[in-house]
Amino acid sequence: MARRSQSSLSVEPTKLKLPKQKKKLTKKDMAGYLFSAPLIVGIVGFALYPMIAALIMSFKKSGGLLGKAWVGFQNYSYVLTDKAFWQAIYNTFYMGILSVILGVILSFILASLIYNARPRWRNFFKGIYFLPNVVSLVATSILFTFLFYPSHEGLLNYVLGWFGVKPLGWFSDPSFSRVSIVLMTLWGMLGYNTIIFLAALTSVPRDLYEAAEVDGASWFHKWWYITIPYLRSIIMFMVIIGTINGMKRFTDVWLIGGTAGNPAGTLMTGVLYIYRNGFLANQMGIATAASYILFIIILILTILMMRFNRKSNFD
Amino acid sequence: MTTTFTEKKVMPKLQKKVKSQKRSKRIGNWILTLILLLGSIVMVIPFIWMAMTSFDWGARLTIPFPPRFWPKEFSTMTYQTAFTNIPMIKYMVNSLIVAVGVILVSLFSALFSGYAISKLKFKGSGIVLVAALSTMMIPFEVTMIPQYLLFDKMHLLDSYWAFYLPALNYAFGTFLAKAFIDQLPGTLREAAIIDGASELKVFLRVYLPLCIPILATMTILQFLAVWNDLLWPLLALQSPAKYTIQLGLAMFTYNQGTPLPSVIMAATTASLIPVIILYLFLQRFIVESIALSGIKQ
Repeated sequence: MARRSQSSLSVEPTKLKLPKQKKKLTKKDMAGYLFSAPLIVGIVGFALYPMIAALIMSFKKSGGLLGKAWVGFQNYSYVLTDKAFWQAIYNTFYMGILSVILGVILSFILASLIYNARPRWRNFFKGIYFLPNVVSLVATSILFTFLFYPSHEGLLNYVLGWFGVKPLGWFSDPSFSRVSIVLMTLWGMLGYNTIIFLAALTSVPRDLYEAAEVDGASWFHKWWYITIPYLRSIIMFMVIIGTINGMKRFTDVWLIGGTAGNPAGTLMTGVLYIYRNGFLANQMGIATAASYILFIIILILTILMMRFNRKSNFD
Repeated sequence: MTTTFTEKKVMPKLQKKVKSQKRSKRIGNWILTLILLLGSIVMVIPFIWMAMTSFDWGARLTIPFPPRFWPKEFSTMTYQTAFTNIPMIKYMVNSLIVAVGVILVSLFSALFSGYAISKLKFKGSGIVLVAALSTMMIPFEVTMIPQYLLFDKMHLLDSYWAFYLPALNYAFGTFLAKAFIDQLPGTLREAAIIDGASELKVFLRVYLPLCIPILATMTILQFLAVWNDLLWPLLALQSPAKYTIQLGLAMFTYNQGTPLPSVIMAATTASLIPVIILYLFLQRFIVESIALSGIKQ
């Protein structure tokens, strides 16, 4: 109480100084700038500067940082007419969309199941399903190249053999490689989505379900009419995050398919294309142009999805 | 609705119905648990296979057929081979050094700026917050080339400064810290300032101890991110002596012509041990941190 009255007292002298304050920054402001200085340096040095430098580089002849001849939109037109780039974007979308759709559906079902499990089991399942999420993509990729070994020695092919399925090529068969990457991704990210869905499920008001039960709703009706609408924004969030991450795919495809995106270029992704042009072919101008195009694609996707989300929320 | 005299007949029926409902619910619960258990097996089998194969000397040259979970020639030779061929310990120490440095820098930056935005509300604090949040929209993959060239120009490539300096911009941490400090009362600061404490002292003495939970969350998130990252180490580090664990492991398998299943599995298993230990002890906390980070975004 005493302190509070003191603080209200302290307001008066600062009020008196008001005209001076307009010109001068207060001590508080100075402290604020000092405290935020590391962040501001970080933003300027490692976000703002690289963004601008990348933009400039994308309009210059490849090689070196700044100080090369301007070439206008030449880099962009090179990228946009490069078949390999479109193949990379197609692959990226293919794997991204498939893993987002399957990932959201599966994890939603999984979260609903875990939510209805007994509390004793709930934490156990949470722990198990989440485990792959802390494992690095490097380890996951190495592990899955063995599990998905293309001959009959591979564990998955062996298991499929029980059902009379002939050994599949998985990562080495161009028609399967992308789906195999999606399967691997699902194993890794299912837990993350599930945990977020579970947190959201617990936030759905219980009385809604109780009211529905009184009206004689089945579990499916409750799920369809209460749970899903209630979780719509979380589902949207998951789709956005999943899409953005999908567009940035690099580590797994680089380890499994190499810099050529083998087999037959099916594992070539947008970022791998950038990496290849920038760091192997040393075509920095082309690589930055490609990265800007990728950035714009991600930005447009994000904005579109957010728009869609806002619209559907108004209904 | 129905007349009262049927009540006697209805009651046993109702009881039966409740009983059968209970039973079907119990059966349903069992089926549910069973499905989830089956799914858990699918999730865990890759780990078990990896751990078991890593001890299988018989699988050092080729993947055994038929696949087995129990090592035929149980031996730790696989680990010895892995550790002599790949300087695993060195890589792990390197990763740890990078992780600690990045955590220190990023938490320092995030907490100070988060506090300043939340409690000092200095002129332009809103702009700083918006700027920080909008940098989160920029994928690292877009800025990696200029960043690489920048460090090249500063002659800081192939040094860990290439990791510490970008950690200054931990915008998500700033956001987490700001949201956390928003919940702490501002009167604490005002009172201490009136008592003549400096802003720095107020922050260090009063607020910092209260921020330990959010610092722990950020530490976990950053540790996992740094430990598991590959792309930036791949670009920034050139001399093998400086490789992080992921880069070392990736390079070894990448450049290896022959498969060497059990040796590679041993190396991979070893690379996971720190993370798995962390997960075993802090499982609930880690899951909560990551869920929090997901929801807050």
